Amino acid sequence: MARFLLRRLLHGLAVLGVVVTLTFVLLHMTPGGPFDRERRLPPEVLANIAAKYHLDESWSKQYVRYLKGVIQGDLGPSYKYLDRNVSDIVADTFPVSALLGILALAFALAFSFPVGLCAAYYHNSWTDRSCLLLATLGISLPHFILGALLIWLFSLQLGWFQAGRWENLSSMVLPTITLGAAPAAYLSYLLRSTLLETLGEDFIRTARAKGLKEITVLFKHALNNSLIPTLTVLGPLAAALITGSFVVEYIFAIPGMGRFFITAVTDRDYPLIMGVTLVYTVLLVCANLLVDLLYSFVDPRIKSH
Amino acid sequence: MSATLTKTSIRRALALLSLLLISSCNPFSQSDNQRVFRVNLGTEPPSLDWSLATDHVSFNVIANLMVGLTEFDKNLKPAPVIAKSWEILEGGKRIVFHLRDDVTWNDGKKVRAQDFEYSWKRLLNPKTASEYAYILFDILNAEEYHEGKIADEELLGVKAKDDRTLEVRLKHPASYFLSITTFEVTYPQRQDIVEQFGVKWTEPGNIVTNGPFLLASWKHENEIQLNANPHFFLGKPAIEKVEMFMINEKTTALAMYEQGQLDFLDNHSIPILEKPRLSKAPGFQRVPQLRGYYYGFVTDRKPFDDVRVRKAFSMAIDRSVFPKILHGGEQPASSWIPPGMLAHNPRIGLTYNPPEARRLLREAGYPDGAGFPPVTLAYNNDEDHKIVAEAIQGMWKRNLGVLVRLENQEWKVYLKKLQTDPPHIFRLGWGADYPDPDNFMKLFTALSGNNNTRWKNPRYDQLLELAAREFDVKKRSKLYDEAQRILCEVDVPIVPLFTTAESTVLNPRYSGLEYSSMGRLVLRQVRLKDSSPPPAARGRDKSA
Repeated sequence: MARFLLRRLLHGLAVLGVVVTLTFVLLHMTPGGPFDRERRLPPEVLANIAAKYHLDESWSKQYVRYLKGVIQGDLGPSYKYLDRNVSDIVADTFPVSALLGILALAFALAFSFPVGLCAAYYHNSWTDRSCLLLATLGISLPHFILGALLIWLFSLQLGWFQAGRWENLSSMVLPTITLGAAPAAYLSYLLRSTLLETLGEDFIRTARAKGLKEITVLFKHALNNSLIPTLTVLGPLAAALITGSFVVEYIFAIPGMGRFFITAVTDRDYPLIMGVTLVYTVLLVCANLLVDLLYSFVDPRIKSH
Repeated sequence: MSATLTKTSIRRALALLSLLLISSCNPFSQSDNQRVFRVNLGTEPPSLDWSLATDHVSFNVIANLMVGLTEFDKNLKPAPVIAKSWEILEGGKRIVFHLRDDVTWNDGKKVRAQDFEYSWKRLLNPKTASEYAYILFDILNAEEYHEGKIADEELLGVKAKDDRTLEVRLKHPASYFLSITTFEVTYPQRQDIVEQFGVKWTEPGNIVTNGPFLLASWKHENEIQLNANPHFFLGKPAIEKVEMFMINEKTTALAMYEQGQLDFLDNHSIPILEKPRLSKAPGFQRVPQLRGYYYGFVTDRKPFDDVRVRKAFSMAIDRSVFPKILHGGEQPASSWIPPGMLAHNPRIGLTYNPPEARRLLREAGYPDGAGFPPVTLAYNNDEDHKIVAEAIQGMWKRNLGVLVRLENQEWKVYLKKLQTDPPHIFRLGWGADYPDPDNFMKLFTALSGNNNTRWKNPRYDQLLELAAREFDVKKRSKLYDEAQRILCEVDVPIVPLFTTAESTVLNPRYSGLEYSSMGRLVLRQVRLKDSSPPPAARGRDKSA
């Protein structure tokens, strides 16, 4: 196990290195700089700004300087938010995105398990078709449409929930549903199809022939053996959800990190883009590692391999 | 038994959850406190350090936390604030400001001339790397100091003679310099505070200010709270507290206004399609802005190196359509200095005249557009810019027989392209930093970095130099008239299209909000009119 962990850790570090290097190179190749403005700055002003942020140095020097900073826990200053550095921004916004992501994931799991189970168990019935319709809607409705619809219905018409901002339970309901809807629908589909396959296996027939209760057959034998594909997607899904979503944070005015994946690029705020990409990569690597570890608990056959 | 217990527990848990949700679901609870005024900034202010701020969001917060030497009055002329008077000496090369002695910082210390001297020197210091450093380059040795050619701060032309007297020496007379002192970047700063807290000096608890409101809290990406300053030298504001939210999405901001959770909306919070509906709502106002929108020709590229072609393209545009297609109260413009500013002259410029446009194009060798080379009109990604470009493309096709290719690009890519490989025709805008025509007209001088047209005319540059040195308003206006004629009628490197307006809606319970033509939100006069219920309590006005 220790060797496995060490191997995965080294693998994760290599992935991080590749992502950081690629992001750095691509950013600097993109036309337009962080201080290009509608009102063009005089050359002497630009020169002082470039000197302050070391933009007058060669790419290689900037790259080494950035790596040194990262190793020391310093993600550098933001070129856009001049009173703060990237570490401050990540520390302020990541917890908000993480909470929203965890709530959305919980919603997705709470929705997908009963729906997936019902759809598979009552295969080809009206229950199955209703569940499929619901799941199709969840997958096909983009965040900005679903979010706007939810605001219109639950905030403007019914007045039940707050339309925006991240203050209390009321303000968390609509963004959680908006962000969790697509993963919930996808997981329902996945679980349904895997369960259908499992329910047709010989060992299920044997269990039923032994006279086991249907609920035991379904939960203990079928579900347990259908979790591997769900677990596989849960890793990257969790990383994607807890690092935030630009659209959901934008629509609901949530002070999270997700918006920076877009705005930092349009602002050419190089350190901020690098910072949020780094956080996302670390989470992705960790989530995949966790999933790999969970496999062995769900299916002991994997442990032996 | 255990199954029943589990069911009961689940029911209880569900009931508790419902109760929690319902109890937290009163979205209008914040409107109970009627002395709290809530506005939407749209985004996080990039900086509250007025030596580093460059954007209107930051300046809208700073303008309510601070005051400076002067502010512009209703006629856009500099009026005294901390400076009670000033003397213009040596033909305009020396200005001496005399400061009031009753203005205090919120920690009780008096605002002194030294605070201005420190702030201006910090703005110019190369290490500060302020984008607006150039705004003070008229000061003696300022540019050289910023370039690093002079290291000694004492050689700079700004000096506190004593606590109440600030002396400014300019390298040449500049009649617009007083207007610069209305700009937030020239506000005073406390050296002890900036040096004690470093980049964190603008955080609540650290920052020291002198204006009508105090920075109470700053939840980044979320909300700023301001409290009324009881010791503000012009009197404590009528509202106790201001909450400034950072809601990007306009539809959400509008929904919150209609739920009674916001008291004021501007263009950054009103979706374009909602403007016609909101224009009938109580509290709606359109505020003309000192912001011009223009198309520029790259004058060294064929076929726009021929002035007749440029004139023809300008005269083929019917500017009256813009307010109808943009719905934002835009004012068509044929000249460059915007309405409300000194030397604005609507009689200058080429007006819509398709027959004359066709004649000029024919004279240039392109009868009815025949043989006209392929040309590109570029703009940055934005729905408004696209609407304008498509409308103008149609007019040129209809009136000149020329089909121009449209090209849109991401903002920063677009800016880069303007510098390196400009298209034949490009879109840009300009908003005033300070309300003086110099700020607008300087854009197109030969040495201006903002002149993307590659056009130069020594007479134009000379007229601007003369106008800058001229203190007589009438003579100045005449000089600018001649310069504008060169720009918009004779050489036509640009086509002014319209000036913009800000659509604003103020909750009818409030009065006294000033939204200036410079885009500043001034809250110190805001007050409750009466104790009428908030819009949410009255229900949504469907007819509005």
